[in-house]
Amino acid sequence: MIRTQITLPLLAALLAGCVSSTVDEMVFNEPLAGIGDASVVILGRRHSSDYETEFDFIRCVGDHIASRDRSITVIDELDFVNALYPWFEPRTAPMHPQDIDRLMLQEPVAQKLAELKTEYMIWIDGSTQRTNSAGSMTCGIGPGGAGCFGFGTWGNDSNYEATIWDFTDRAEVGRVNTSASGQSYMPAVIVPIPIIAPVQGTACDGIGDQLLEFLSSEY
Amino acid sequence: MASMTSAPEAKAGTLPAFVLALLLALLAGCSGNEVVVQGEFPAPLMNRLPVKLGVWYDEAFTGHEFFDEAKGREESSWLVKTGTAQVQMWDTLLGGMFQELVHMKGRPAPDQLNPLVDAVLIPKVAELQYAIPAHTNVKVYEIWMRYHFDLVTTRGEPIADWSMTAYGKTPTAFMRSDEAAVNLAAVVALRDAGANFATGFQRVPQVAQWLNGRQGSPEAQPPAATSPPGSTTAATPDEPVPGGETPVEVTPGDATAMAGEVEP
Repeated sequence: MIRTQITLPLLAALLAGCVSSTVDEMVFNEPLAGIGDASVVILGRRHSSDYETEFDFIRCVGDHIASRDRSITVIDELDFVNALYPWFEPRTAPMHPQDIDRLMLQEPVAQKLAELKTEYMIWIDGSTQRTNSAGSMTCGIGPGGAGCFGFGTWGNDSNYEATIWDFTDRAEVGRVNTSASGQSYMPAVIVPIPIIAPVQGTACDGIGDQLLEFLSSEY
Repeated sequence: MASMTSAPEAKAGTLPAFVLALLLALLAGCSGNEVVVQGEFPAPLMNRLPVKLGVWYDEAFTGHEFFDEAKGREESSWLVKTGTAQVQMWDTLLGGMFQELVHMKGRPAPDQLNPLVDAVLIPKVAELQYAIPAHTNVKVYEIWMRYHFDLVTTRGEPIADWSMTAYGKTPTAFMRSDEAAVNLAAVVALRDAGANFATGFQRVPQVAQWLNGRQGSPEAQPPAATSPPGSTTAATPDEPVPGGETPVEVTPGDATAMAGEVEP
């Protein structure tokens, strides 16, 4: 049992590629006592033509915050966007904190936001891109069995920026930027062994930790 | 009847499973891609306009589909059926935007018997283009649509007509099929169409003029029971739109690389 407990993390560590990550942070008016019973919504920017912030990355950051401080309510992105349709679609989403005032002119929207007790709105813009790939692999199947031989490698780059809006003051109160890059490998001698660099996961942890420090009184 | 159904099963049982699987895989390669667009569309969160709106969907709209035939051996044909999703989205949107929504029995005309409404909206998909990574080498699936709307009286007399575009995209994702990605892009495009219509309807000059003309008339006053809390009696064309001074028109990155259909 003890051997399994040691072996599994060791195996996971060996099979994970290396990732380097940088986090920059600039915040104002931190809620020192936490956000109380108010809620936070984390939304992805999707108005760019050549990329869009991944839904699973937004979910990852939300889960990261909610799992470490259970007193923080993080509203699910899709639930929020659906509840406030059509005001948070890529075409109509507010681009500046001042645009919230225009949004509040719509009485049903103001009522819904009050109902959700949204105190902070966090916009995340960025994506994870594959930067390079090299190598080749050949797989075959025959009556005696199947197998692969070769070697493949690829790199991933993550770059995300979170902008924190204070809903009460209609102001931007912080920015957190994270970038991560890593190289993944896949050698194959009969069985392919993926050694994956968790680039997006590292970026998620980086941005999640900084947002947690901002929102939580416990961190 | 029983022998007709049992005969192919008996024949299939004699073939080794892997030969069948191989055959199916080869046949799948020959057939095209077909997507029946499916999604969920939320009702709009806005003050309802005090208008009893009729809507007429013609057969081309309810059964709207787009077919793009493969141009070479490397490409596959695409059939994208949007009709059901179109009706679902527009019914939900218009039902939430107007005081009352009524489906017409026929296309508005002087001799056509229809329920009495303030105006009838006739939407039409005038153009649809799509792009997949195989066409553009960009890791994004895109759907672009151009709608044409006619707003007419129950007798078919024109009140307003205008065009509007909608755009949806979705990036490539691990383990997501081409069909699922095109479906998702179409759902995003339909949501965008709804957002564009909801925020732009009162900005169409002819519509604004018509709404202003109705402002003083008795039928423009909504009954208190059907009006949601805080609803206005008549909206003005220059009602502010959150998110910017004017709604941003999003157009595909490379429209020329998109396959498409144009209705003459």
